[in-house]
Amino acid sequence: MTDTTALERGIGAAPTRARRRRFQWRDPWGHPRGLALVTWIYILWSIVPVLLAIRFAFNSGRSRSAAQGWSLRWFWKDPNLSVFHDPTLSSALQQSLTLAFFAMLIATPLGVALALGLQRWRGPGSGTANVLTLLPLVTPELVFAVGLFLLFTTAFKVLGLGTTAQVIGHVTFSMSFVVVIVRGRLATIGGDLEEAAADLGAPPWDVVRRILVPLLLPAIAASLLIVFALSIDDFVVSQYLASGADTTTVPMRIYAQARAAPTPALNALATIMLTVTLLALGLAYLVFRLMTRGEGGGSAIGQLAGIEAGIDAGGSK
Amino acid sequence: MSAGRGDIKLDGLVKRYGEVVAVNGIDLDVPGGEFFTMLGPSGCGKTTTLRLIAGFERPDEGGILLDGVDMSRTPPHRRNVNTVFQSYALFPHRTVEDNVGFGLRYQKVSKAEHARRVGEAMELVRLSGLGHRKPGQLSGGQQQRVALARALVLEPPVLLLDEPLGALDARLRLDLQVELKRIQETLEVTFIYVTHDQDEALTMSDRVAVMRDGNIEQCGPPQELYEEPSTAFVANFLGASNLVPVQAVANGAGGAQLTLGSFTLQAAESSADLRGDALAMIRPERVRLEPHGTTGENRMPGMVEEVVYLGFHQDVRVRLATGALIRVDVPNDGDAIEYEQGNAVAVHLPPRYLRVLAADEPPAAIEQAAVPAEAS
Repeated sequence: MTDTTALERGIGAAPTRARRRRFQWRDPWGHPRGLALVTWIYILWSIVPVLLAIRFAFNSGRSRSAAQGWSLRWFWKDPNLSVFHDPTLSSALQQSLTLAFFAMLIATPLGVALALGLQRWRGPGSGTANVLTLLPLVTPELVFAVGLFLLFTTAFKVLGLGTTAQVIGHVTFSMSFVVVIVRGRLATIGGDLEEAAADLGAPPWDVVRRILVPLLLPAIAASLLIVFALSIDDFVVSQYLASGADTTTVPMRIYAQARAAPTPALNALATIMLTVTLLALGLAYLVFRLMTRGEGGGSAIGQLAGIEAGIDAGGSK
Repeated sequence: MSAGRGDIKLDGLVKRYGEVVAVNGIDLDVPGGEFFTMLGPSGCGKTTTLRLIAGFERPDEGGILLDGVDMSRTPPHRRNVNTVFQSYALFPHRTVEDNVGFGLRYQKVSKAEHARRVGEAMELVRLSGLGHRKPGQLSGGQQQRVALARALVLEPPVLLLDEPLGALDARLRLDLQVELKRIQETLEVTFIYVTHDQDEALTMSDRVAVMRDGNIEQCGPPQELYEEPSTAFVANFLGASNLVPVQAVANGAGGAQLTLGSFTLQAAESSADLRGDALAMIRPERVRLEPHGTTGENRMPGMVEEVVYLGFHQDVRVRLATGALIRVDVPNDGDAIEYEQGNAVAVHLPPRYLRVLAADEPPAAIEQAAVPAEAS
């Protein structure tokens, strides 16, 4: 009995401040306050510029740095300078979305096929091919763009510069990302499932249709989104392969106009782009949740992590 | 599933991976309805052989005959054999019912027939009521049963099982061993079972093939393999055994005469006509310990070096005067003497339990090979 009361008293007694601090430092089960602080500082640091840019998209004045009330003037209210009414801005937006759309639709199926091919190819040359596929991930984009420029002005002169060249350029560098994402998922799926399906009588095409594609769907959705984000974000390749005013993309327009006569319409344009990307992300997240329901929690989270990694990679490109 | 169907015949089967020969000319006859086990350490070629029969690998040479028809060039989806994978390979995006019914789609059965057979298969593996779950929501043992039901629902004449119990804990494994045997006997399906677990091989099989380096080392009923191993490798892989290097001096109808140092040993009749270097093999549970000073045929003095208490028996290690170490199982039957390190004893190796095997390799290599690995 005495032991119990002593123990209770020990727990109830408030330790001195010094003791408590030492206790926290040494207590590996405690809340990691320091790490949480660093995390929050990082989040604020990275999100504040974005929030500021968005704030000035809604400015009613012409300034991009002084708060001058709120309005939707720079989106569509202003008859001349708003994104909606300024032909250079709206055509840039249209061009960016067009490029992203086609890059997404072309790079994803090609990348999936390439990933499947690389996964199955065993033998001389497969190692080299593996490395070469991932080369665009580390090639400086400028080098890549200069190379493509040369190609489209000499060997592929038939195609010439312009939208087609821009789409091909975007597809070329974003396919590597698709390959990485899809191969990651293929590694998780493993070869057993395909063998099991064949063993149960499924001919090769059915193995693809009934097993492989459904299981790859999260990776395919992630790939679509990442190619879209990469393409929307791209400046260097779009710039080099552009052929004139009507092939100017949003990043190119923002860059050019920022030096001439910047208005909050640029912020509005950037805000629209951000919204489009976030909507795509949200949509992809919902799709995953629906598709991987009941598959066990790890998968959906893993795929989301894959998307985020892709977005980060896209952002840093 | 009538009896007589499901004969598997392997005819000089060879599979190479570059320089490595995984399966080195295997000949095998498995009659329909047999529970046949391929046992061996990892890398012995047992899984490759199974994959060849399933059709996941293409043999370099030889034939695979099912009921007399060569199917070695038939793709896996047209082979009338089904596989239970070590990883279960359940389709995670489909419900248990869809998993079990997956293969029936290719057998062109009516909707009612489909439902009936799925229900029967689920009942057979005692999973009724779990049909609407996803595989991820089942325990390991339940997933194993789904994998089994998914293969059995197609009523294959031959079922291939690749270490199906390898991922389960020991207790569950014992339960499922009994159940697998029950299912196999009920359905009279040929089971070709791959494992590195000697207990599984001994308890379930009608016949066992011990494999090594792509060859079948010995093939026979479990009892024969345990009692009359033909090589040191088999003796060591199936159960524990003492292998003592000896000299064979005479070998005839009356048995073999061996010398171990200055001692002379009598051994049971040996089919191998051995002279010179040989190994004397005896199971630890067949060695008798007698009071120090006891003399007679096949008795040698020794000293207890180590005693390991294992509950149902003691594992006593005795160092003989010649330097050889003998493991002795002393059953914990209530009146067993408790030995201690340093006790002087007489070791009795009854001649009828002593076998002579060829000393074709150093014992160290055998021991290493006999350590069961996770997978092959």
